[in-house]
Amino acid sequence: MTPPELRDLLADALALWGVEARPRVAEDGVALAAPDGTALRVLAAAPGDLPVRWWLERPGQRRPCTSVLGLLRALRNAVGAGEGEARRLRVARPDP
Amino acid sequence: MIPVSIVTGFLGAGKSTLLRRILRDPAWADSALIVNEFGEIPLDHDLIAASEESFVSASTGCLCCVVRDDLSKTLLDLLRRREAGEVPRYARVLVETSGLADPAPILHALMTDAALGATHALQGVVTLVDALHGAATLARHPEAQRQVMLADRILVTKPDLAPAPEAAIRALNPAAPLRAAAHGAAEPGWLFAPAPRPAELPDWAAHHTVGLASIVIEREAPVPALALTLWMQGLAEHAGARLLRLKGLVALAEQPDRPAVLHAIQHMVHPLEWLERWPGEDRRSRIVLIGEGIPRHFPARLLAAIEAEVAAEAARRG
Repeated sequence: MTPPELRDLLADALALWGVEARPRVAEDGVALAAPDGTALRVLAAAPGDLPVRWWLERPGQRRPCTSVLGLLRALRNAVGAGEGEARRLRVARPDP
Repeated sequence: MIPVSIVTGFLGAGKSTLLRRILRDPAWADSALIVNEFGEIPLDHDLIAASEESFVSASTGCLCCVVRDDLSKTLLDLLRRREAGEVPRYARVLVETSGLADPAPILHALMTDAALGATHALQGVVTLVDALHGAATLARHPEAQRQVMLADRILVTKPDLAPAPEAAIRALNPAAPLRAAAHGAAEPGWLFAPAPRPAELPDWAAHHTVGLASIVIEREAPVPALALTLWMQGLAEHAGARLLRLKGLVALAEQPDRPAVLHAIQHMVHPLEWLERWPGEDRRSRIVLIGEGIPRHFPARLLAAIEAEVAAEAARRG
């Protein structure tokens, strides 16, 4: 995912959560300010960081995320939008 | 399995008139009717002249507001009485909702109750829209909007009094088959046929109304089952109750020759159904979401991001 694609996805997610924040592409990632003013930055992890795929940074803290869903969950928490509805779904296989 | 059809429509849309006429038809008299009324005193069931072969079970209170167990208990109790010979051996169940009901919780109950699922099969949602007042009702009442959005078939009533409010209906539900009938003279075989599959709904397109929208996703390449599962999980987690309905025909990477039928009401996902083959030449995955306040591109962007991660992980593992 390119930084502009990441920005667009995060902008949609923030709108869905009802959070007033405007993410922007910055320094190979996406930067935004949480409603409380905290500066946040989302960066793609380097290939050598696997299984970490994303970093969510705030001043003095760097949180690893292993998937885009994990990143959204962490961001949602960081911007104070509360918990989502954690669900476990299963895809059934057809009979052979 | 006993088929269950939901008949809904705003106050005064003509549900009782329609059902009264249907139950008088000898071919449909072997139907059990559950009348759900909004209020303390049941009236509607007294207004429906049931034939000797059919009967009415009235449950007071709004099904969509009362505990879901109410519908489950009613259906299972009817079934028990049917098996015991205490009531006629009905062939199907029709549930008439209150005019103010949101059908979604009723569909939830039918889709999620294990005991019900073993004995009853949801056939579809029939929504009545009054030609005379329909457009104004749809503009003012969210309940009426949801009734139309969740419809598998739409019947415009009182077409002898005014033209069908087709634009208002299509803005909410662009693809459900629509007919008009005066004085309840609708063809029951059409009304209560199994709900059309998504493959038969190729013309779903983006339509907006206030706060509500249908969103279409199309994919050329098959989608890995894991990506689809994670995507639906992510949608359920972040859209929650804003996701009203999801229908789709999906080519899964693991079984691209057999399309999987997706069906979800809000966050409850129906088990995948597999078709033997694609219904036509078009083998693209098509998914339609109906939701409130979901950013238009969010579902597709989320799916793309998850697919990329799943593909990268698969490549990494060789």
